[in-house]
Amino acid sequence: MLLGSLILSACSGGRGVSNNWHGLTADSERAYLSDGTFVYAVDLKTGKEVWHFPPQADSKMMFYATPVLTADGQLLIGSAGTKHPFYSIDSATGKENWAVPFTENKGAWLASPLVVNDRIYAPNTDGFLYTIDMNGKSAADPIELGGALWSAPSTDGTLLYVTSLDHHFHVIDPTSGQSKTPIDLGGAAPSSPAVGDGMVYVGSFAATVEAIQANGDHKVIATADNWIWGSPILDGNTLYYADLDGKIYSLDLASGKQNWDTVQPDGPVVASLLVVGDQIYVGTEAGTLVALDRDGKTLWDKTVGGKIYTTPVLSGDLILVAPYTADFILAAYDAEGKQAWIFTPVAAK
Amino acid sequence: MWDTIIIHPMTNLLLLIYDLLGHGPHTFGLAIILFTIIIKVITWPLNASQVKGAQAMQELQNDKEWQEIQKKYAKDKEKIAQEQMRIYKERGINPFASCLPTLIQFPIIIGLYQSITRALSITPFDMLKLARTIYPFQNVEGIIPLNSKFLWMDLGRPESIQILGFALPTLAIIVALTTYIQSKLTMPATSNPNDQSAQMTGMMSIYMPLMLGWFALNFASGIAIYFITSNLLGIAQYAATGRANWRNLLPGGNKQTVKKK
Repeated sequence: MLLGSLILSACSGGRGVSNNWHGLTADSERAYLSDGTFVYAVDLKTGKEVWHFPPQADSKMMFYATPVLTADGQLLIGSAGTKHPFYSIDSATGKENWAVPFTENKGAWLASPLVVNDRIYAPNTDGFLYTIDMNGKSAADPIELGGALWSAPSTDGTLLYVTSLDHHFHVIDPTSGQSKTPIDLGGAAPSSPAVGDGMVYVGSFAATVEAIQANGDHKVIATADNWIWGSPILDGNTLYYADLDGKIYSLDLASGKQNWDTVQPDGPVVASLLVVGDQIYVGTEAGTLVALDRDGKTLWDKTVGGKIYTTPVLSGDLILVAPYTADFILAAYDAEGKQAWIFTPVAAK
Repeated sequence: MWDTIIIHPMTNLLLLIYDLLGHGPHTFGLAIILFTIIIKVITWPLNASQVKGAQAMQELQNDKEWQEIQKKYAKDKEKIAQEQMRIYKERGINPFASCLPTLIQFPIIIGLYQSITRALSITPFDMLKLARTIYPFQNVEGIIPLNSKFLWMDLGRPESIQILGFALPTLAIIVALTTYIQSKLTMPATSNPNDQSAQMTGMMSIYMPLMLGWFALNFASGIAIYFITSNLLGIAQYAATGRANWRNLLPGGNKQTVKKK
């Protein structure tokens, strides 16, 4: 029994949150990467660490959400450990600006917040959407949506759109805090909606893409062969999305038809796609970064290593990829797929 | 291999029970309890065999003849081993009867733990692993994500109740208490003060409750529900076989007079 307990201890993932892939964002000079114990700022020119947060590891705090950079230089992220404060970090120095402690009974932070009009809208796995001002003070009563909230809200500038793992899509008026009748998507929705031209597009584990109007009218406009995990990407009149079978879809919203038959790189796709100019970048679970053109033709592919679950990010001329379970946690590629640098942390002190 | 043989079937059984119960609020807690009962029933013969074997070995430690042999051949370990085998043979004791079932149960215990953790899927990566675990016949879209609420608890997180501003870890306390009771009840009375086996069992009855209590304090409360159900069923099993030593719950209750053979 003692041996069993030790094995349980060794193999357990039961502590608040066990493990997860990275969250990645960037500005013109730095990449900001959550890697469990620490959040790193990495210089984009050199691929070297600028700072990490917190200064010392705390086993009760874990960071997996994608950090959000505000216009005034704050980097926002919450902890997904057994302690789950929500932090504002000075993106220049890595020092803490402020922290909202939240008590032990609040859920972990897996979703990124959305910042609109000096308000931070932070979805939590406890099913509440919290509103915080830019100084870390509560700005409104939390809105109970239900289900675990894993993704950042989207907005059209007026309303907030929030997906939940309990299969529901929520429309919220941030001025009143009122939530309209939620829409049942038929499956868990782990990613943010795409918003454009008066419509909202949501993918879900029901393997469907729903188009939703602000008045609540909605319909399934496309399907997939497996769960849709990443956010659909709206680019002009085309909606790009992928599924766990590794199929990439390009939906012409005008005709409602797919632009190509089968485009399927070498592994399941969890991350959202990155659409830049005429290229579509795909990170696969097989650890490959693939560049497609608008016709779905492979321009190049590079073996990054590990498993790519984090959405690639573009900064300047670099495409940033944060593989999971690789020997490094961040790699930078140019538009032709040539590796510029890799980053391996040395902060685990 | 491990996943295919142990984790996948167990996780799917857990999810099937959850689905059959209606996958509403509180049903995952009930599913864990039912799941634990099913596993306990399946492993009942193993547990019974383990208890019987452990009792026989423990009784041997208190046996007058065996104690005299140990004293007589204290300097001849080979002779002691021969005499030990003779006694095993004469009394039909299988020395592996107590440890073999335990070894067989290890995969089940570890599998149970991992299945519960996987089913709860508290991170996207856990959810991705769960997606690869579920059999095609399951109502996947309908049951995922699992409703982790059970009574006042979120089964995916450590449990505590706020009392006067203090977070009281009630489940951890119950886990420690039931583990202590179970280990005390299964501890045979001993008359031999030098019985190393009894000393070790005594130490375990202190360490195990603390260790499992620590698990319950720090890990998902769904695991604590499993520990508590398993402990209560274990206590019931010992009581049903008439082997529960209730006197052990009292201070100094594990002493007995020497049996003469």
